[in-house]
Amino acid sequence: MSAMEGEAGAEQAPIRSELWRGIKGCIPVLLGIIPYAPVLGAQAAQKGLSVLEVPLMTGLNFAGGSEFAAIQLWTSPPHIVLIVAITFPVNSRHLLMGAAIAPFLRHLPKRKALPALFAMTDESWALGTADAKARADQGLQPAFSLPYYLGTALVFYVARVAFTTLGAALGPVLGDVEAYGFDMAFPAVFLVLMAGMWKGFGAARPWLVSLVVAALTYLFVPGARYVAAGAVSGLIAAYVLAGDEA
Amino acid sequence: MIDPLTVLTIVLMASATYCTRIIGYLVLRNRTLSPRATALMEAAPGCVLISVIAPHFVANNPADLIAIAITLLAATRLSMLPTVMVAVAATGLLRHFIG
Repeated sequence: MSAMEGEAGAEQAPIRSELWRGIKGCIPVLLGIIPYAPVLGAQAAQKGLSVLEVPLMTGLNFAGGSEFAAIQLWTSPPHIVLIVAITFPVNSRHLLMGAAIAPFLRHLPKRKALPALFAMTDESWALGTADAKARADQGLQPAFSLPYYLGTALVFYVARVAFTTLGAALGPVLGDVEAYGFDMAFPAVFLVLMAGMWKGFGAARPWLVSLVVAALTYLFVPGARYVAAGAVSGLIAAYVLAGDEA
Repeated sequence: MIDPLTVLTIVLMASATYCTRIIGYLVLRNRTLSPRATALMEAAPGCVLISVIAPHFVANNPADLIAIAITLLAATRLSMLPTVMVAVAATGLLRHFIG
């Protein structure tokens, strides 16, 4: 073996072991996606998305909340403006996550950091930044392990795309999922996501405003305008209430 | 199998999502956010999510109303998997017995 191969080997080994460490670290998290990924796929199939379109969505978009919202509001043909307009605010927590992870990515050039951010999900972000803090305490440099983070995201990505596609393929076989109560999986997933964001009643007041306005709009105004009405009034409430406390 | 409008929607939606992933890194990394901006960003996802599912809270049959109440209760106490199981089972049973 030449000296060069030896060096390359020494550089490869930690990357591979770090990637593997990430893959193993993410496996418990997979339990979280098993209930909702097939349900998302099945409901998408019921709304008319094909077995190819479902993985296209979950593979390109790769953010659960916005996919649930889009499918819930999906019509044929799809209401493009509505779906794109709700995607941004549903995923706006990524803005904060991106800002929070930025200091850990300082050692990476943008050509590596920007593609790596495609893989930023609640899970990979949480595992990646927690690991970076642990490595920093151990004095390891760089604290943020890119292969570890990519390993966590890889497992998650493959499982999500596979399970949503499986749901899309099996959904039509099961028939009308609403008859069994499967449609309640949507609000269940949303409410658990919101419970995860819970920061006390004070911070949740805008949500209540959104709920009341959206429900009233739904009852009295035809179409899907209730989403925009609820979201916008909640945001106005958040803006006003934040002013009170500042 | 693949509808052009569906693909367009998916691509635009995915672009919006990718923007949320990189804007925080590109724009916010060297800035401190005002408390108001932080409050807005923290409230935004919940405002949209609750608005999307708001129709469930004003369903026109008792079975679905009881089911959403049970689901809400479960979501505050349990993790994702048990909550979804409780929600689906409760809804299926209530619709079967109450209608």
